[in-house]
Amino acid sequence: MGLTAKKSKFEDQYVDPVGKSVPRLEGKGIVTGQLKYAFDVSFPNMLVGKMLRSPHAHAKILSIDTSKAEALPGVKAVVTARDTHQIKFGSNEYFFPHTVDQMALEADKVRYIGDELAAVAAVDEETADQALRLIDVKYEVLPGVFEIEEAIKPGAPQIHEALNNIALILPVNFNNPERMMKEADYVREDKFWCPVAHPSPMEPHVCVGQWETFTNKITLWSSSQAPFKCREALAKTLKMDLNDVRVIKMAVGGGFGGKLEMLPMDFAACLLSKKAGGLPVKICLTREEEFTTTRRKHGMIYRVKTGVKKDGTILAMMGDVFADGGAYCSYGPTVLAAAMMRIFMVYKIQHFKMTGYRVYTNNPISGAMRGFGGVQSGFAIESHMDLIAKDLGMDPVEFRLKNITGPNMVTVNKMILTTNGLRECIDKALKASDWANKRGKMKHLKKGIGIGIAADVMGSKMYKSHESAGAIVKVEEDGSVYFFTGAADTGQGSNTALSQIAAQELGVSFSRIKCKAGDTEITPFDTGSFASRVTFISGNAALLGARDAKRQILDVVAKEYKMSIEDLDIKAEKVIIKKEGRSLMSFDKALELCYSFNYGKQIIGRGSYNPKTTPVDFRSGEGNVSGSYGFEAQIAEVEVDTDTGEVKVLELWDAHDIGKAINPQSCEAQIEGSLAMGLGYTFYEDLRFKNGRVLNANFAGYRVPRAIGIPKMNTIMVETDDPEGPFGAKGMGEAALLPTSAAIANAVEDAIGVRIKELPITPEKIIKALKEKAVEKS
Amino acid sequence: MQVNLNINKKQYSLDLVGNETLLEILRDRLSMTGTKTACQETECGTCTVMINGKAVLSCITLAANVQGDQITTIEGLAEGDVLHPVQQAFIDHGSVQCGFCIPGMIMSSVALLQKNPEPTQEEVEYALDGNICRCAGYPKIFDAVKEAGKKMKK
Repeated sequence: MGLTAKKSKFEDQYVDPVGKSVPRLEGKGIVTGQLKYAFDVSFPNMLVGKMLRSPHAHAKILSIDTSKAEALPGVKAVVTARDTHQIKFGSNEYFFPHTVDQMALEADKVRYIGDELAAVAAVDEETADQALRLIDVKYEVLPGVFEIEEAIKPGAPQIHEALNNIALILPVNFNNPERMMKEADYVREDKFWCPVAHPSPMEPHVCVGQWETFTNKITLWSSSQAPFKCREALAKTLKMDLNDVRVIKMAVGGGFGGKLEMLPMDFAACLLSKKAGGLPVKICLTREEEFTTTRRKHGMIYRVKTGVKKDGTILAMMGDVFADGGAYCSYGPTVLAAAMMRIFMVYKIQHFKMTGYRVYTNNPISGAMRGFGGVQSGFAIESHMDLIAKDLGMDPVEFRLKNITGPNMVTVNKMILTTNGLRECIDKALKASDWANKRGKMKHLKKGIGIGIAADVMGSKMYKSHESAGAIVKVEEDGSVYFFTGAADTGQGSNTALSQIAAQELGVSFSRIKCKAGDTEITPFDTGSFASRVTFISGNAALLGARDAKRQILDVVAKEYKMSIEDLDIKAEKVIIKKEGRSLMSFDKALELCYSFNYGKQIIGRGSYNPKTTPVDFRSGEGNVSGSYGFEAQIAEVEVDTDTGEVKVLELWDAHDIGKAINPQSCEAQIEGSLAMGLGYTFYEDLRFKNGRVLNANFAGYRVPRAIGIPKMNTIMVETDDPEGPFGAKGMGEAALLPTSAAIANAVEDAIGVRIKELPITPEKIIKALKEKAVEKS
Repeated sequence: MQVNLNINKKQYSLDLVGNETLLEILRDRLSMTGTKTACQETECGTCTVMINGKAVLSCITLAANVQGDQITTIEGLAEGDVLHPVQQAFIDHGSVQCGFCIPGMIMSSVALLQKNPEPTQEEVEYALDGNICRCAGYPKIFDAVKEAGKKMKK
């Protein structure tokens, strides 16, 4: 046992990886095309699966005759509701069991154009398409309803059992806002329209399902961003045990909330495989199916009224939110809740009353999309705040500073804010953007500058009663480390960041770690990639797993040297004696000892973390949903061409309280991505419908941000060192999307004095608003 | 029909019906799954490959029409173990997130830089405007392309 060992082959420049821009683990796989996505999964004898979708927005299914399709040569399986247990699934089962309302293959009724009612598997795509055409469905077409206002009228066509098509009424209610409105010096009310956006990740939803018919085991290779949730839904609807269903998350080509749920295609691929004698079945959605039949962002009518004192103190807020839910509930109830309750993280409001209505329509299904209600509320609230400040003759920043939350406070709905970098974010964004010299001072140039602020949770316990994440840190005899996490890297770089946390805590170089993630059979449970929860929750599990492994190693070393384990630690590849700060042996030597003749001790660390929260009472909105909270200030500078109505964003500044940047480069990339998505939502992302049919179901009609027109983006990281976060880190990224639309709308008003309250901000709307303003003046 | 394709400097002799796209041939017949597609209708740029040095969409290129041409895919860029400067720059600058658009994005970048190793910001934007990236805000991609160009010039 030498005291000074030679340098390990594992030692790299990332000995203390936390806080360093370690390159992405998947980087080489990505740039060479070797990384395998569900899209790339292929097996011999694999069949092509296709979904039969309703051509009607609302219809009774009278009969389905599949005999001709089944007789077509090359068709290996056809399934309908008759082949299923007809068990409904949904995403808010724990809090809102009555909103579990979708069947993988509908039996009696279809409720939107694209609703699934059968599926086929065939030897090739052409045969599968032909088989779909041979399925004879008799419908009784029912009148449809497509607008929120129409759907809630008494006597409107009933889509489900819900009275007036309101799937859910959600009240958020604290103290006495009615009385405080009367006491207010000034009251202002505004109404906003937040359009429907679509996640549209570059990789469409893909799965390969295989049902081993004799052993009764299912494997699904999937593009899911929540593989354990997908497993749970498959097991429930197929009546299997959890350990009969294996969901393997491949590399995922983007999710943005759209891949959080099991879709009928996942269910169908497994069932088709069973009927086809166990042959694997691949279902890959077309881009059109992606746009029309996967989850979209809720369109929302957001009405908000605020009472303030002369000095700008907010006394009370009231309002209502109507969300176009489409045909099924999906994540709708909690999206709606989030759209109303995020404000408590941002502003100190004591008197509050808002009611949310999630309305069924015969449009496609609304669900989770990046921002989770916060993009809609962010636009509405942050535009509204600027309008109040303007009416009061106050600077919009001064008005906000008077009302924002701070560190170590409990909000009216009992959210516990510990570290809170909101003020610092605002200060830094103002300084970086040179706000003081620009605001209100560039009108002659038709330029303006605007601000928006936001906050975000780190997880939310919205889909289960707990939100635990697990980790296993297994150290091999040669000192190489397996890190198992259930977390689903969908491209944000969580495999890398979590491995950095594990390596740092274990005290070793990053290159020792191999990350195995998102396989429900071999990795610990994790609820999935959403609500900026992974770095915080799965990161804490990684930390605890590594700490446990380290304790096991030190236990052996302490025994060998007859020392107390408390006196030892592992830092930067060395076992050290803490008091003396002296190295006792290398990490490699310590592992040799663990796996030696005398000890033969396997090092298998385990971590399990469940954030400290309280359940939300959805009768009032009370509850501490997250173990920590992240904050955000964003500033946009714009230039408006008043002849064409074109708004050009010149520069964006984003200051983000992220606790601690585990991987600064990845953090920047997350923020830039959110800013781009925010630009898209502000200016052109608008999924349009006519009688339930999507009018722009492709990238030509539904424009997303492209290389031309991306402004300069400045990211400022504010590190508040959260005591509950792994190495102080909070979840991040999603929040940067929340204030963008309002910051831009506020900047537009600063530039040319018109206010846009209905997104997207189009040249037509700018010109119309300018004309109206001119009429008002004259 | 018998068709000979030159892909990444190797000859492939294939029996085709005639209506197969180059994308289908690469992915389904030759298992070269590095080339992705996100729309199959020319709107996303994900399936970009190079044909005789030009960035081309493989989803609308008939395989039978590119006989005798030099076809380069993402699998053909690295020299042995050494990544192409564009590939390396995309890693170094953290330009990759989910990565699904990246093979196409890199092929468009290489096609640009081989002609113009010192592109202006505007030239980079025009060259990449056909390639959608949904994760990134593009700045890190722009940085990578410009730096790779400098290395390619050397």
